[in-house]
Amino acid sequence: MATDEQLLDAAVRTGAKSLRLYRWTPPTLSFGRNEPVEALYDLDLIARRAIATVRRPTGGKAVWHEHELTYAVAAPIAEFGSLRAAYREIHRRLASALTALGVSTTVAPDRRAVRPSDRPTSCFATPLGGEILVAGRKVVGSAQVRRRQALLQHGSLLLDGSQALVSAVSRRPAAVSGETTLAAVLGRPVSFAEVAAAIVSAWPSGVARGAVEC
Amino acid sequence: MSNIPKDLRYTEDHEYVRTDADPTVVRIGVTDYAQGELGDVVFLDLPKAGATFGKKDVFGTIEAVKAVSELYCPIAGTVVESNKALEADPALVNRDPYGDGWMIKLKLKTPADLDGLLKADAYAKHIGE
Repeated sequence: MATDEQLLDAAVRTGAKSLRLYRWTPPTLSFGRNEPVEALYDLDLIARRAIATVRRPTGGKAVWHEHELTYAVAAPIAEFGSLRAAYREIHRRLASALTALGVSTTVAPDRRAVRPSDRPTSCFATPLGGEILVAGRKVVGSAQVRRRQALLQHGSLLLDGSQALVSAVSRRPAAVSGETTLAAVLGRPVSFAEVAAAIVSAWPSGVARGAVEC
Repeated sequence: MSNIPKDLRYTEDHEYVRTDADPTVVRIGVTDYAQGELGDVVFLDLPKAGATFGKKDVFGTIEAVKAVSELYCPIAGTVVESNKALEADPALVNRDPYGDGWMIKLKLKTPADLDGLLKADAYAKHIGE
Protein backbone atom coordinates (compact mmCIF):
# COMPACT_ATOMS: atom_id res chain seq x y z
CA MET A 1 0.00 0.00 0.00
CA ALA A 2 2.84 2.36 0.84
CA THR A 3 4.42 1.69 -2.55
CA ASP A 4 1.11 2.42 -4.29
CA GLU A 5 0.94 5.73 -2.46
CA GLN A 6 4.50 6.50 -3.54
CA LEU A 7 3.44 5.94 -7.15
CA LEU A 8 0.56 8.37 -6.64
CA ASP A 9 2.91 10.91 -5.09
CA ALA A 10 5.21 10.59 -8.10
CA ALA A 11 2.26 11.13 -10.45
CA VAL A 12 1.28 14.25 -8.49
CA ARG A 13 4.81 15.66 -8.37
CA THR A 14 6.26 14.68 -11.74
CA GLY A 15 3.42 13.38 -13.89
CA ALA A 16 4.92 9.88 -13.83
CA LYS A 17 2.75 7.07 -15.24
CA SER A 18 3.07 3.68 -13.58
CA LEU A 19 1.67 0.18 -13.75
CA ARG A 20 2.58 -2.04 -10.79
CA LEU A 21 1.63 -5.72 -10.54
CA TYR A 22 2.25 -7.50 -7.26
CA ARG A 23 1.11 -10.07 -4.71
CA TRP A 24 1.06 -10.34 -0.94
CA THR A 25 3.33 -12.03 1.58
CA PRO A 26 1.84 -12.82 4.01
CA PRO A 27 -1.78 -12.90 2.80
CA THR A 28 -3.39 -9.74 4.13
CA LEU A 29 -6.82 -8.31 4.87
CA SER A 30 -7.11 -4.71 3.66
CA PHE A 31 -9.70 -2.25 4.89
CA GLY A 32 -11.12 0.70 3.00
CA ARG A 33 -9.81 4.13 3.90
CA ASN A 34 -12.84 5.18 5.93
CA GLU A 35 -14.31 1.87 7.06
CA PRO A 36 -15.24 1.86 10.77
CA VAL A 37 -13.36 -1.40 11.34
CA GLU A 38 -14.23 -1.85 15.02
CA ALA A 39 -17.93 -1.73 14.17
CA LEU A 40 -17.73 -3.88 11.06
CA TYR A 41 -15.18 -6.55 11.93
CA ASP A 42 -14.29 -8.82 14.86
CA LEU A 43 -10.83 -7.47 15.63
CA ASP A 44 -10.30 -9.99 18.45
CA LEU A 45 -10.88 -12.84 16.01
CA ILE A 46 -8.54 -11.21 13.50
CA ALA A 47 -5.86 -10.93 16.20
CA ARG A 48 -6.36 -14.53 17.44
CA ARG A 49 -5.95 -15.83 13.92
CA ALA A 50 -2.88 -13.61 13.44
CA ILE A 51 -4.32 -12.15 10.25
CA ALA A 52 -2.20 -9.36 8.80
CA THR A 53 -4.16 -6.18 8.10
CA VAL A 54 -3.57 -2.90 6.32
CA ARG A 55 -5.56 0.25 5.62
CA ARG A 56 -5.88 1.29 1.97
CA PRO A 57 -5.63 4.91 0.75
CA THR A 58 -8.65 4.13 -1.40
CA GLY A 59 -12.21 3.64 -0.29
CA GLY A 60 -14.49 0.65 -0.50
CA LYS A 61 -14.84 -2.51 1.55
CA ALA A 62 -12.54 -5.16 2.92
CA VAL A 63 -10.56 -7.40 0.59
CA TRP A 64 -8.72 -10.62 1.41
CA HIS A 65 -5.49 -10.61 -0.59
CA GLU A 66 -4.26 -14.16 -0.99
CA HIS A 67 -4.61 -15.90 -4.34
CA GLU A 68 -4.64 -12.81 -6.48
CA LEU A 69 -2.75 -10.45 -8.71
CA THR A 70 -2.91 -6.89 -7.42
CA TYR A 71 -2.59 -4.08 -9.92
CA ALA A 72 -1.89 -0.41 -9.29
CA VAL A 73 -2.11 2.32 -11.89
CA ALA A 74 -0.90 5.83 -11.09
CA ALA A 75 -1.02 8.61 -13.65
CA PRO A 76 -1.96 12.24 -14.27
CA ILE A 77 -5.72 12.62 -14.48
CA ALA A 78 -5.32 13.92 -18.03
CA GLU A 79 -4.07 10.46 -19.04
CA PHE A 80 -7.48 8.89 -18.43
CA GLY A 81 -9.93 11.80 -18.09
CA SER A 82 -13.03 11.69 -15.93
CA LEU A 83 -13.46 9.28 -13.08
CA ARG A 84 -15.81 6.99 -14.97
CA ALA A 85 -13.68 7.22 -18.10
CA ALA A 86 -10.61 6.18 -16.10
CA TYR A 87 -12.48 3.32 -14.48
CA ARG A 88 -13.66 2.03 -17.83
CA GLU A 89 -10.35 2.44 -19.65
CA ILE A 90 -8.27 0.68 -16.99
CA HIS A 91 -10.83 -2.12 -16.83
CA ARG A 92 -10.92 -2.30 -20.62
CA ARG A 93 -7.17 -2.97 -20.61
CA LEU A 94 -7.50 -5.60 -17.91
CA ALA A 95 -10.41 -7.19 -19.79
CA SER A 96 -8.25 -7.30 -22.90
CA ALA A 97 -5.62 -9.21 -20.94
CA LEU A 98 -8.26 -11.64 -19.67
CA THR A 99 -9.54 -12.18 -23.19
CA ALA A 100 -6.01 -13.10 -24.24
CA LEU A 101 -6.05 -15.73 -21.49
CA GLY A 102 -9.25 -17.18 -22.93
CA VAL A 103 -11.70 -15.60 -20.48
CA SER A 104 -14.94 -14.13 -21.84
CA THR A 105 -15.71 -10.83 -20.08
CA THR A 106 -18.46 -8.24 -19.99
CA VAL A 107 -18.60 -4.78 -18.44
CA ALA A 108 -21.15 -4.10 -15.70
CA PRO A 109 -23.73 -1.44 -16.67
CA ASP A 110 -24.18 1.71 -14.62
CA ARG A 111 -26.89 1.39 -12.00
CA ARG A 112 -28.97 3.57 -9.78
CA ALA A 113 -27.66 4.65 -6.40
CA VAL A 114 -28.47 2.59 -3.32
CA ARG A 115 -28.37 3.69 0.28
CA PRO A 116 -24.99 3.06 1.97
CA SER A 117 -26.73 1.07 4.71
CA ASP A 118 -27.88 -1.40 2.08
CA ARG A 119 -24.35 -2.08 0.96
CA PRO A 120 -22.85 -5.48 1.68
CA THR A 121 -19.53 -5.74 3.48
CA SER A 122 -17.42 -7.52 0.89
CA CYS A 123 -15.86 -5.51 -1.92
CA PHE A 124 -16.76 -8.28 -4.33
CA ALA A 125 -20.43 -8.65 -3.43
CA THR A 126 -21.85 -6.12 -5.89
CA PRO A 127 -20.56 -4.99 -9.29
CA LEU A 128 -20.41 -1.29 -10.15
CA GLY A 129 -20.77 0.26 -13.57
CA GLY A 130 -17.63 -0.23 -15.63
CA GLU A 131 -16.38 -3.23 -13.67
CA ILE A 132 -15.35 -6.49 -15.27
CA LEU A 133 -17.73 -9.40 -15.03
CA VAL A 134 -17.15 -13.00 -15.94
CA ALA A 135 -20.34 -15.04 -16.23
CA GLY A 136 -22.08 -12.23 -14.33
CA ARG A 137 -19.66 -12.30 -11.39
CA LYS A 138 -16.85 -9.97 -10.39
CA VAL A 139 -13.33 -11.18 -10.99
CA VAL A 140 -11.69 -7.79 -10.35
CA GLY A 141 -12.39 -5.44 -7.44
CA SER A 142 -11.04 -1.91 -7.93
CA ALA A 143 -10.90 1.40 -6.11
CA GLN A 144 -9.57 4.81 -7.03
CA VAL A 145 -8.22 7.86 -5.21
CA ARG A 146 -7.69 11.25 -6.80
CA ARG A 147 -5.23 13.75 -5.40
CA ARG A 148 -4.59 17.07 -7.10
CA GLN A 149 -4.04 16.32 -10.79
CA ALA A 150 -3.28 12.63 -10.42
CA LEU A 151 -5.06 9.37 -9.73
CA LEU A 152 -4.26 5.99 -8.24
CA GLN A 153 -6.46 3.05 -9.12
CA HIS A 154 -5.64 -0.31 -7.69
CA GLY A 155 -7.47 -3.56 -7.44
CA SER A 156 -7.46 -7.30 -7.01
CA LEU A 157 -7.73 -9.78 -9.86
CA LEU A 158 -8.77 -13.06 -8.27
CA LEU A 159 -6.70 -16.01 -9.41
CA ASP A 160 -8.14 -18.60 -7.03
CA GLY A 161 -9.47 -19.00 -3.48
CA SER A 162 -12.35 -16.96 -2.12
CA GLN A 163 -13.33 -13.93 -0.07
CA ALA A 164 -14.89 -16.16 2.58
CA LEU A 165 -12.46 -14.84 5.19
CA VAL A 166 -14.02 -11.38 4.92
CA SER A 167 -17.40 -12.84 5.80
CA ALA A 168 -15.86 -14.93 8.58
CA VAL A 169 -14.49 -11.87 10.39
CA SER A 170 -17.45 -9.57 9.67
CA ARG A 171 -19.91 -8.63 12.37
CA ARG A 172 -22.68 -8.25 9.79
CA PRO A 173 -24.39 -11.19 8.11
CA ALA A 174 -22.49 -12.36 5.07
CA ALA A 175 -23.60 -11.07 1.71
CA VAL A 176 -24.18 -13.51 -1.10
CA SER A 177 -20.86 -14.18 -2.80
CA GLY A 178 -20.57 -12.14 -5.98
CA GLU A 179 -17.09 -13.07 -7.09
CA THR A 180 -15.47 -15.74 -9.19
CA THR A 181 -11.84 -16.57 -9.92
CA LEU A 182 -9.80 -17.22 -13.02
CA ALA A 183 -9.10 -20.77 -11.87
CA ALA A 184 -12.82 -21.43 -11.53
CA VAL A 185 -13.59 -19.94 -14.92
CA LEU A 186 -10.79 -21.63 -16.82
CA GLY A 187 -10.92 -24.90 -14.92
CA ARG A 188 -7.19 -24.96 -14.30
CA PRO A 189 -4.63 -23.30 -12.04
CA VAL A 190 -3.67 -19.83 -13.27
CA SER A 191 -0.30 -18.41 -12.30
CA PHE A 192 0.55 -14.87 -11.29
CA ALA A 193 3.25 -14.79 -13.97
CA GLU A 194 0.96 -15.62 -16.89
CA VAL A 195 -1.64 -13.07 -15.87
CA ALA A 196 1.02 -10.41 -15.28
CA ALA A 197 2.46 -11.08 -18.72
CA ALA A 198 -0.98 -10.74 -20.32
CA ILE A 199 -1.60 -7.42 -18.57
CA VAL A 200 1.78 -6.01 -19.55
CA SER A 201 1.08 -7.01 -23.15
CA ALA A 202 -2.31 -5.26 -23.03
CA TRP A 203 -0.84 -2.03 -21.67
CA PRO A 204 0.23 0.74 -24.05
CA SER A 205 3.87 1.69 -24.28
CA GLY A 206 5.21 4.78 -22.53
CA VAL A 207 4.21 3.60 -19.06
CA ALA A 208 6.70 2.48 -16.43
CA ARG A 209 6.03 -1.24 -16.56
CA GLY A 210 9.08 -2.60 -14.85
CA ALA A 211 7.41 -3.04 -11.50
CA VAL A 212 6.18 -6.60 -11.83
CA GLU A 213 6.87 -8.09 -8.42
CA CYS A 214 6.74 -11.86 -8.43
CA MET B 1 -26.95 16.26 -19.05
CA SER B 2 -26.23 17.33 -15.51
CA ASN B 3 -27.98 20.13 -13.62
CA ILE B 4 -25.99 23.41 -13.63
CA PRO B 5 -28.01 26.19 -11.94
CA LYS B 6 -27.44 29.59 -13.50
CA ASP B 7 -27.27 31.42 -10.18
CA LEU B 8 -24.23 29.58 -8.79
CA ARG B 9 -20.50 29.91 -9.38
CA TYR B 10 -18.22 26.95 -10.11
CA THR B 11 -14.64 25.69 -10.20
CA GLU B 12 -12.88 23.43 -12.66
CA ASP B 13 -12.58 20.95 -9.78
CA HIS B 14 -16.39 20.61 -9.70
CA GLU B 15 -17.19 22.56 -6.54
CA TYR B 16 -19.98 25.12 -6.55
CA VAL B 17 -20.44 28.31 -4.53
CA ARG B 18 -23.90 29.57 -3.57
CA THR B 19 -24.37 33.05 -2.14
CA ASP B 20 -27.20 33.58 0.32
CA ALA B 21 -28.73 36.69 1.88
CA ASP B 22 -25.41 37.62 3.50
CA PRO B 23 -23.06 38.14 0.54
CA THR B 24 -19.99 37.47 2.70
CA VAL B 25 -21.04 33.90 3.60
CA VAL B 26 -21.36 31.23 0.91
CA ARG B 27 -22.39 27.58 0.80
CA ILE B 28 -20.02 25.17 -0.91
CA GLY B 29 -20.61 21.68 -2.24
CA VAL B 30 -19.90 19.54 -5.29
CA THR B 31 -21.81 19.75 -8.54
CA ASP B 32 -24.41 17.42 -9.91
CA TYR B 33 -21.86 16.32 -12.52
CA ALA B 34 -19.35 15.48 -9.78
CA GLN B 35 -21.77 13.43 -7.72
CA GLY B 36 -22.78 11.55 -10.85
CA GLU B 37 -19.17 10.74 -11.63
CA LEU B 38 -18.42 9.62 -8.09
CA GLY B 39 -21.43 7.38 -7.66
CA ASP B 40 -22.97 6.69 -4.26
CA VAL B 41 -21.31 8.89 -1.65
CA VAL B 42 -20.60 6.87 1.49
CA PHE B 43 -18.39 9.10 3.63
CA LEU B 44 -17.34 12.73 3.98
CA ASP B 45 -14.52 14.21 6.04
CA LEU B 46 -15.34 17.88 6.52
CA PRO B 47 -13.63 20.63 8.54
CA LYS B 48 -14.85 22.11 11.81
CA ALA B 49 -16.06 25.68 12.22
CA GLY B 50 -13.14 28.07 12.54
CA ALA B 51 -10.89 26.30 10.05
CA THR B 52 -9.34 28.70 7.55
CA PHE B 53 -8.55 27.87 3.94
CA GLY B 54 -6.95 29.60 1.00
CA LYS B 55 -8.14 29.21 -2.56
CA LYS B 56 -7.54 25.64 -3.82
CA ASP B 57 -6.58 24.37 -0.36
CA VAL B 58 -7.89 20.88 0.46
CA PHE B 59 -10.82 21.34 2.86
CA GLY B 60 -11.94 17.72 3.07
CA THR B 61 -12.34 14.40 1.35
CA ILE B 62 -15.28 12.61 -0.17
CA GLU B 63 -15.54 8.83 -0.51
CA ALA B 64 -17.90 7.31 -3.01
CA VAL B 65 -18.17 3.77 -4.28
CA LYS B 66 -15.87 4.47 -7.20
CA ALA B 67 -13.30 6.79 -5.68
CA VAL B 68 -11.95 8.91 -2.89
CA SER B 69 -11.38 12.51 -3.93
CA GLU B 70 -10.05 15.59 -2.23
CA LEU B 71 -12.30 18.62 -1.94
CA TYR B 72 -10.76 21.97 -2.87
CA CYS B 73 -11.83 25.27 -1.41
CA PRO B 74 -13.01 27.45 -4.32
CA ILE B 75 -12.27 30.69 -2.50
CA ALA B 76 -10.39 31.88 0.60
CA GLY B 77 -12.27 32.11 3.87
CA THR B 78 -13.14 30.68 7.28
CA VAL B 79 -15.58 27.83 7.89
CA VAL B 80 -18.58 28.91 9.93
CA GLU B 81 -20.49 25.63 9.70
CA SER B 82 -20.23 22.18 8.16
CA ASN B 83 -23.30 20.19 7.20
CA LYS B 84 -23.87 17.77 10.09
CA ALA B 85 -26.70 16.05 8.19
CA LEU B 86 -24.10 14.51 5.88
CA GLU B 87 -22.62 12.47 8.76
CA ALA B 88 -25.79 10.40 9.01
CA ASP B 89 -26.80 10.59 5.36
CA PRO B 90 -23.86 11.26 3.01
CA ALA B 91 -26.04 10.27 0.05
CA LEU B 92 -27.70 13.69 0.36
CA VAL B 93 -24.84 14.77 -1.88
CA ASN B 94 -26.25 12.46 -4.56
CA ARG B 95 -29.90 13.27 -4.03
CA ASP B 96 -29.69 17.03 -3.62
CA PRO B 97 -26.18 18.34 -4.33
CA TYR B 98 -27.21 21.99 -4.57
CA GLY B 99 -29.65 21.89 -1.65
CA ASP B 100 -29.47 19.64 1.41
CA GLY B 101 -26.20 18.16 0.15
CA TRP B 102 -24.18 21.34 0.76
CA MET B 103 -20.91 20.74 2.65
CA ILE B 104 -19.61 23.90 4.31
CA LYS B 105 -20.58 27.50 4.89
CA LEU B 106 -17.60 29.80 4.41
CA LYS B 107 -17.09 33.38 5.58
CA LEU B 108 -15.27 34.95 2.67
CA LYS B 109 -11.96 36.67 3.21
CA THR B 110 -12.49 38.86 0.14
CA PRO B 111 -16.02 38.73 -1.31
CA ALA B 112 -14.79 40.20 -4.57
CA ASP B 113 -12.91 36.93 -5.18
CA LEU B 114 -16.25 35.45 -6.23
CA ASP B 115 -15.82 37.20 -9.55
CA GLY B 116 -12.91 34.91 -10.34
CA LEU B 117 -15.08 31.77 -10.33
CA LEU B 118 -16.72 30.18 -13.35
CA LYS B 119 -20.24 31.07 -14.36
CA ALA B 120 -22.67 28.31 -15.29
CA ASP B 121 -22.07 28.48 -19.03
CA ALA B 122 -18.29 28.34 -18.59
CA TYR B 123 -18.59 25.35 -16.25
CA ALA B 124 -20.91 23.60 -18.70
CA LYS B 125 -18.28 24.08 -21.38
CA HIS B 126 -15.59 22.77 -19.02
CA ILE B 127 -17.43 19.49 -18.53
CA GLY B 128 -18.35 19.25 -22.20
CA GLU B 129 -22.06 19.98 -21.92
